[in-house]
This record gives sequence, C-alpha cells and structure tokens, in this order.
Amino acid sequence: MQAIVQIRGLCRAYRQGDIEVVALNNISLDIPEGGFTALMGPSGSGKSTLLHIIAGIDRPTSGSCVVRGVNVAELSETELAGWRNSQIGFIFQTFNLIPVLSAFENVEMPLLLTGLSGAERRAHVEAALELVGLQDRMHHLPRQLSGGQEQRVAIARALVTDPTLIVADEPTGNLDARAAADVLELLTVLNRDAGKTIIMVTHDPKAAGFARRMLHLEKGELLRDEEMRGV
Amino acid sequence: MTAAGFIMRNALRNKRRLLLTVLSVSLSLFLFATLQTALRELTEPQTNAEAALRVITRHRISVATVLPQKYLNRIRQVPGVEAVSQFTWLGGVYQDEKNFFPQFAVDPDTIFKIITEAKVDPLQRAAFERERTACIVGIKTMNRFGWKVGDRITLTSEIWNCSPELVIRGVYSGGIDESNLFFHHDYFDELMDGFGKTGAFWIKVRDEAAIQPVINAIDSSFRNSEAETKTETERAFQLGFISMFGNIQMLIGSISTVVVFTMLLVTASTMSMAIRERMREIAVLKVLGFRGSEIFGLILAESFGLALLGGIVGCGGARLLYSNLDIYTLTQGFFLKFEVTPHILASGLLLAGGLGVLSCLAPAWAGIRMSVLDGLKEVD
Amino acid sequence: MPSIPLSYNVRSIRVRWRTTLATVWGVGAVVAVFVMVMSLARGLKATYVQTGDPRNLLVLRSGSTAESSSQITREELARMKYLPGIERDAQGRPMFSPEIIVLIYLDRLNAEGGANVLVRGMGEMGLVVRPSVKLVEGRMFESGRRECVVSRRIANRFANCRIGDSFKAGKGEWTVVGLYEAERSAYESEIWADADEVRAAFGRDFYGSILLRPESEETAARVTKRIESDLALNARVLKETDYYSDQTRSAGPIQFMGGFLAAIMSIGAAFAAMNTMYAAVGARTREIGTLRVLGFKRRSIYLSFLLESVILSGVGGLLGCLASLPLNGVATGTFGWTTFAEIAFEFRITPELLGKGMIFALAMGILGGLLPARMAARKPVLDALKA
Repeated sequence: MQAIVQIRGLCRAYRQGDIEVVALNNISLDIPEGGFTALMGPSGSGKSTLLHIIAGIDRPTSGSCVVRGVNVAELSETELAGWRNSQIGFIFQTFNLIPVLSAFENVEMPLLLTGLSGAERRAHVEAALELVGLQDRMHHLPRQLSGGQEQRVAIARALVTDPTLIVADEPTGNLDARAAADVLELLTVLNRDAGKTIIMVTHDPKAAGFARRMLHLEKGELLRDEEMRGV
Repeated sequence: MTAAGFIMRNALRNKRRLLLTVLSVSLSLFLFATLQTALRELTEPQTNAEAALRVITRHRISVATVLPQKYLNRIRQVPGVEAVSQFTWLGGVYQDEKNFFPQFAVDPDTIFKIITEAKVDPLQRAAFERERTACIVGIKTMNRFGWKVGDRITLTSEIWNCSPELVIRGVYSGGIDESNLFFHHDYFDELMDGFGKTGAFWIKVRDEAAIQPVINAIDSSFRNSEAETKTETERAFQLGFISMFGNIQMLIGSISTVVVFTMLLVTASTMSMAIRERMREIAVLKVLGFRGSEIFGLILAESFGLALLGGIVGCGGARLLYSNLDIYTLTQGFFLKFEVTPHILASGLLLAGGLGVLSCLAPAWAGIRMSVLDGLKEVD
Repeated sequence: MPSIPLSYNVRSIRVRWRTTLATVWGVGAVVAVFVMVMSLARGLKATYVQTGDPRNLLVLRSGSTAESSSQITREELARMKYLPGIERDAQGRPMFSPEIIVLIYLDRLNAEGGANVLVRGMGEMGLVVRPSVKLVEGRMFESGRRECVVSRRIANRFANCRIGDSFKAGKGEWTVVGLYEAERSAYESEIWADADEVRAAFGRDFYGSILLRPESEETAARVTKRIESDLALNARVLKETDYYSDQTRSAGPIQFMGGFLAAIMSIGAAFAAMNTMYAAVGARTREIGTLRVLGFKRRSIYLSFLLESVILSGVGGLLGCLASLPLNGVATGTFGWTTFAEIAFEFRITPELLGKGMIFALAMGILGGLLPARMAARKPVLDALKA
C-alpha cells in the first residue's frame, strides 16, 4: 500500500522557561493508506505532539511531514486551515462539541466552509450521523446526550467532509468501558468497511488492541513498531 | 444552519449577559441622543422659509437697550420692507415665576403680516385688533395653562415696571414657535406712561434679494442718530442670543464623550468576556478548518449586532419617548420642541455600530492569534 | 458566622483586572459627570449666595422682583436719603447708594460672539456699603470723567476691559481705570461707574434701586417700616442677601441636567457591574463549592460577593472624584435669566458633593452585586464542585 503520511527526521522542541524540552527527536516513519495506527507511550512521550503535527495544528522544529504529497510544515496558517478542513477529521478526548448547537448542526459545522448547498450538506450530515447510529438523536443538544453519544457525534463531524485522515486523541479517555468499546468498534468499522485511514493516540493497551499497527514512543523517540492482526 | 444562525446562537448563549449589555449600551445611546437633541435645540434655532425673510432691528448697544418708536415710519418707507411691527419683550410672569413663556408687545395690525405662517381665525384676529387690552396666544401656551378664548390674565413684568391685564381674544398655531403671546404695544406704552420706545422692530422683507439692501438701508439711515441700530436676520439675532449661553456646547460635548467612552469600555469588556470563555471553541473551529478571517468575521458580526441592537433600542427609544411627551410643558417652556432628528438618529446608530466593531478588535485579535494547542488546553 | 477574609476579594479582583476595569470605569464616569455638572450648579448658586452684605437693605419699587424693572425717582431718593437710622461714615455722609443697572453687549475675549454685561451705576457710597469688594489694580472711577472699574473676571472674559482700554456704551466712550475682586460674588460679573453718568449716557431719568446700610438690626426694621409705610414712596425693602439668594433658582436647569444624567448613567453602570459580577461568580463556581465544603455559610458567600462589588464601585467612585477635582475653581460663565446678562462663576467641588458622588458609586455597587451574589450563595455545593 502507498504511504499516505511520510515523516522524515521530524524534531519538535519547546521552550519551557529556560529549559529546552525535546518532545520529538528525529522521527521517521510512513503510514500507509487505509491503516489503523495506534500511537502509544507514557505521558510526555511525544505521542500527542506527533499527532498534532500530522493533523496540522502544530509545527515541527525541523524535518518534514508530507501528507498526500503536501509538506504540512510549509503551509501558511491560512492555507493550513483550509487544508485541515478538507484533509483531516479530528476526534478529541473531551469531544469538544459546540454546546449551543444540536448534533446535526455540530456535524454540519465543517461543511459550512465548503461550497455545498444546504440540501447537499443535509444529505452528508444525515449520512454521517446514520453511520455512527445517531440518526434519531440529530436534534439533541450535546448536554442531552451521553458521553458515548457525544463522542459518536464528534466522529460523525470528523468524517463528514470525507477527509484523507482521521486522527483521534485519546478518544476513549473520558468514556466508561461500554461506551469506549462502542467507540472503538465504530472506528474499526470505519477503517475496515469504509477504508478510512485512522491514527489514534492512546495510553490504554486495550484501546490500542483495536488498531492494526502500534507505534511505541518514549522520550520523543520511536521505540517499537509492531504490526498486529485485526480484531 | 447558516453562519448567521451560528452567530445568533453564540450571541444568545448567555441571555442574561446579552440583555444586560444591550441595555447598558442602549442607555448610553439614549443619553447620547438626548444630549445631542438638547444641544441642537439650544444652539440651532429652528427656521423655515418665512423666517428667512424676516429681519430684526435692535439698538446697537444691546438687545436690552430700547429704540425710539418714531423709527417705525422711516423703516416702513425703506424699499423692500413689506411690513414692520414694534417688538418689545415683556418678560412677564403669570402667577408664579415658574410659569415662564415669551410675551411681546407688538403692533396688532401688522404682526400677522410678519409671521405669515401663523394661522389665526379671521374673526379672532379682528377681535384682537379691535380691543386695546386683547392678546393672541400660541396654541402651546394655551394648552399649557388650560386657557380658553375670553379668559382674563394678568402678567407682571420682571423687566418693565408694569402689569398688563389682558383678555385672550384669539389663538394662533403653525410656525416655529407656538408659545408666544402678542398684545398691543399701545397698551404697553400706556402702562409705561407714554413710553415712546420699543425693544426692537420686527420686519418682513419682500424677497431674499432685498434682505441685504434693507439691512444696509435701515442701519445707515440711523447712523449718527441718538440711537444707532443694528439690523440682522432673525436667525443671526437668535444665534446672538445663543452665544450668550457661553460654553454650554463644550459642556454637553464633553459629557457625550465620557458617555461614549464608557459605552466602549462596557461593550469591549463584555465582548472579551464572551470571547475568553469561548477560547476552547475557537480552537476547535480552527481544527475544523476555520481561518482567522472567518473567526474574526463571526466575532465581529456578533459584537456589531449587539451594539447596533443597543443603538436601535436607545436611539429609537429616545425618539419614541420624546415624540410622545409634551416636552414644552414638562420643561416649563425651556425647550420648545425636543425632536430626535433623523440626523441624530443616524449618527447614534453609526456610533453604536462603530463601537461594536472597535470593542471586539482586541479580544478578536487575541482569539485569532492564540495557537490551536493553547486554545485546546483552556478549561471551560 | 465565619466571614470570608477581604483579601480573598481583593486578590480575585486583581486576577480579573481586565473585566473589572469596565465596571470601575463605568462607575467612575458616572461619578465624574455627576460631580462636574453639580459643581457647576453649586458654583452658580454659591455666587448668588455670597453676594451682598447681611447688614445692607435694598430698596426697590414695590411690585418689582428685579433691579432691572424697578424705578426710583429723584424725589423719592431725596425723601429717603436722610432718614434716621441710616449709618453714617466718618464725614457724616449717609451710607446710601442710589444705583441703576443697564446692559451692554461686549465681545468675548477668546471666542466667537459676545454677551450682555451688566453695568452698574452707583453713588459715591457704592464701595463703602460693599466692604467685601477690593480694588486689585488701578484706582476707583472718578465721577465726571466717564470712567469705570471692571471686575477682574469680566476683564478676563471680554474684550476692551483691561486698564487703559475703553469701550463705547450709550452716548460715549468709557475708560477702564481699575479692576476689582468681590469674593467670587455676583458683583464679579459687573462693570461699575458713576450712577448719574450712567443715567445720562443711557437716557434714564430715574434710578433703579437703592442700597443702604442701617445702623443696626433694630434700626433696620425701623427704616424698613418707615420706607414701606410712606405712601409717597411706593417702595419695598428687602435684605440685600435675600434678594440675591432668591436668584439661586437660575441654577435649576443645570441641577436637573446633573440629576438626569447621573440617574440614567448609573443604571447603565449598574448593568455593567452586574455583568462583571455574574462573570466573576460563573468563573469561581468551583471556588464557591470549595468554600462551602470548608464550612462557610451561604450568607458568608453572599456577603463576600456583595462586598466585592462594592469594593469595585468604591474604587470607581474614588477615581471619578479624582478625575473631577481639577475642575474645581475653573472659571466659566452662562446667561443669567434674571439679569439678562452674563454671570461669571466657577465650578465648585465641595467635600459634601464628593461624598454624594461616593454614595452614588456604592449604591451602584450594591445594585449591581445583589443578584450575582444571590446566585453565588444559592449554588448547591455538589454542583459547584462538579463544574
């Protein structure tokens, strides 16, 4: 399979007061199209930073991160925003739905930036919500939904633009075991049946077990790279 | 949902704050409209086509210095003069010092040829001309004191040593000032023991072209006489009065500035409260692909709309309130009218909109510059 | 009941300084506007209240409410001048000044337009019955030479009023020979000259009023009775100070404006304060819960937030008072309805006025703090901790 993300010599350093903290140190890896990759490691290992750089919300200090032939590090802030809209679907640990908007409207949000008509948007949103099994909760506000349902709305929002990559930052971190299993199941289905490329950060080995490949990071370095059999 | 819908949702997110902010902005704009209207009423004398053809001849020394009555005949003969009347400010009090309104001793046969826009019933006018102690009163003053035609009133002058006892024979309406009382100058002379003087002459000029020649002819004909004259248009005469009020314009201007500044700060602080608590959401919007300019647009539209709403409530409220109040009676004659003009309304709304834009700049800039990662770290 | 220490509020305000700034400014602006406008009214009032000597009597024609409409003939004057009970000076002359006022129009010194200025013609005792008046430059006018003295305030505000200048008024030119000060009274809005010269120049064959000094309070009553009961005189007598204090009503419209502005603005500022306090309560929900768990009662929470609002508005009020202070003593002038002439006066800020401004500020703080404080006190402990 073709590599959809090519990372070469990626470094990221922060300044924290007078100390320089190296979050990522010379990482190189490829992520193939259609994969389901879990980034694992203890807190401070740099796994989230790596995810943020791939998703275009953080920038490397040096090195390159090429997603579908585009070096993300070279885009301007404005270009990056448009790029994120079309290429990335982001799933957060804390869902981050907009509280004043209904499930339907939350999912519609990224489509407002596209040139789609109202009817087209409606069709896309309904399809996405159906895919996550929430077609009967479309007009509920986030606070009227359970945590698991909120996260599924967030997943619908992430895939409604049909992005190249779906990135998830600890998507089960705020969920109970049942809901977490449901969400991971859903991600697996999206990967297996809809062919979505998914990169997921987690520190939970059980969650990582749903992925087909596991990358272990520690202290900013890539420790292990293991292929696994699908569940 | 549309972008406008999203903006509305955001604005309505905290209804209590929205209400308080809109109310405080609208109160400020209510005050702004009130102050501007007061300033306008005090410093810009009302005028109309008829008034533009009137001139006033007074003593060169001051408006309070009198002229000989005999000047009347010479003024009447000046080419271009259509009508002329004696014109003396009585400065009288009706019953109580609070009951102030303008009263003038005039020539009954010519006064309505000068204030041509005043409408009087011909029978009432004839009755007024016939009777030496008769007077004609403007409709506003009639209503203010509840007078009827036929009522007898006594005025005590605070300037002249006399107390005319008058009978109301007519009412006039129309024109700029519907509050005046006109009575016979002859009667005034009699009370003053053959006074032989008048405060000023009120003159109607044939047409616009004749105004300057008439002014020049009158003033030059009395040059080097016992009492030199100064003739000026009615508007210039009124402006002369206004300049005596001193720096009221500056006072009202500086208060308006304070009010506007306060409003700016209140709106800005509300906007920054509203934006700061949404920093995390702004970061989410950025992750979804919203650009800085789009986020700025959302914030700007919200702030602009909020301030404009306050402006509409405040200025519109002022207009509605003052057009339904009898300001003349309420202010005891201090303000003849109190009209929030379209011009004042427009400048109030413009100001409100401008402040809406201005007050969101700093918080919006902070929101745009904030990095996505910092925004996501914010707790609600 | 344990109360929450004040330092908690002060620190909280410091942390949230950006939002509190709006409240402080709002309250400060209201107080500043209130104090400024009211000080204008005070200044105008004080000018009248300070005018006149409590020992003096003013004689007007009966029925006249103002000097300008009063007339006293020379015959009447003669009947009054040597009445017993009028104080005499060292040379034995009665302290008795026949006076006449006329208006002249003068151009302003540094601005467009001009205004009426009151010219007072006075008798030779005019200065003697006004001991508060001091010539500060030049000398007194001499009769027969068309000379006048001008109050320093008028000289500062109008053209051609410096020593050596002359201006045209009535029939002839008047030369300024001196400047005077009169303890900031209404006299400082006048120009003084000889009464008979003024009468001649302005074609008046009568006087307007008489200012006289009785020997004592008892004789004052007798002189008053004597003049008012004399059928040949048709005059009324009043204390000079009463005459001027009656004119304080001309400050009415300014006072009304001050009250109106302050009332409307303070409602707006109270709304702003409420906004800030609601935001403060919202942001500190967790802290409130913690305080409750630590054992503080609802009432302590309530008082603490109310107090915070009052502190905020108090600071605003102080700043407003400070901002208005430089105006104290600044000279200005307006049109006096009773005299039809310019009345010069100065802004006057008294401690009492500042106190009223502070009361206004604190009232705004209480008004703005009541509802948010109630909301804070009513938060259930668990909800507060969950936030």
